Amino acid sequence: MSMVADVDTSQIVAIATEVFAAMIDRETGHLSEGSSVLMTLSDPLYAWVELSTVPASRVQLTTDVDTAGDLTHAFLSMDEAEPVVGADVMDAFGEIANVFGGSIKALLPEHVQLTLPQVSRRSPSGSAAVRLNEALLAWHGRLLVISLWTI
Amino acid sequence: MRALVIDDSRTMRRVVADILGGLGFDISQSGNGREALDRLESGETFDLACIDWNMPVMDGLEFVVAVRARREWRDMTLIMVTTEGELGQVVRALAAGAHEYVIKPFTPDALASKLALLGLLPVGQPT
Repeated sequence: MSMVADVDTSQIVAIATEVFAAMIDRETGHLSEGSSVLMTLSDPLYAWVELSTVPASRVQLTTDVDTAGDLTHAFLSMDEAEPVVGADVMDAFGEIANVFGGSIKALLPEHVQLTLPQVSRRSPSGSAAVRLNEALLAWHGRLLVISLWTI
Repeated sequence: MRALVIDDSRTMRRVVADILGGLGFDISQSGNGREALDRLESGETFDLACIDWNMPVMDGLEFVVAVRARREWRDMTLIMVTTEGELGQVVRALAAGAHEYVIKPFTPDALASKLALLGLLPVGQPT
């Protein structure tokens, strides 16, 4: 089993809290565990990086396209009226996945390689992929799913 | 002071450039190590380079090694700004010639603190 399987939900939430406080919201309090809230994704966007564990693993973020746009706004400290273009959203959401992936990688006992991030409106899950863990988070009340997979 | 921000993510380039710009730096940007080297080889000079590690074409560590191999660029301060957080990677980068290391995620204050340690904050900037 992949070393990533040992990463538990509380560690995922702790990483998310740190990433959002440092780079997205620049303060705490806007991200919470959302498992007790009934939330769904209607227009999902997927961002992920893969780790060269044995077997290989994936760190994946999923949220709605609109939420990814607002994440981009916050990440880039953009003015309210400043438009966000699709390429900005893809790049910013991918970079958030990259930072998450790096933080997960830092928890592992051995050095592994991290791929460059990928972003798509299609789920990357192949038939052999197995979900190891998942954290349902609410960012400003909107669903963000962070999942760890073996692939 | 002139700073070069090297990252394949335009989001991160903008984030780092905004922080450095706010501290009084004059900013240029490159999308990978090769583009950055091309700038240096064309005669541009920088006091500081903030360098991502994982980039296509030429990664940040290769860029550091290439810069440190050239005497005429030795005055440029090199800071890795990267998700590569393991101690072994930090040691590799510092051994290759990076002066400092900032692990993503980071706050603007964290980057400013590194610059202050290196004596690179323009006069009048808070630490």
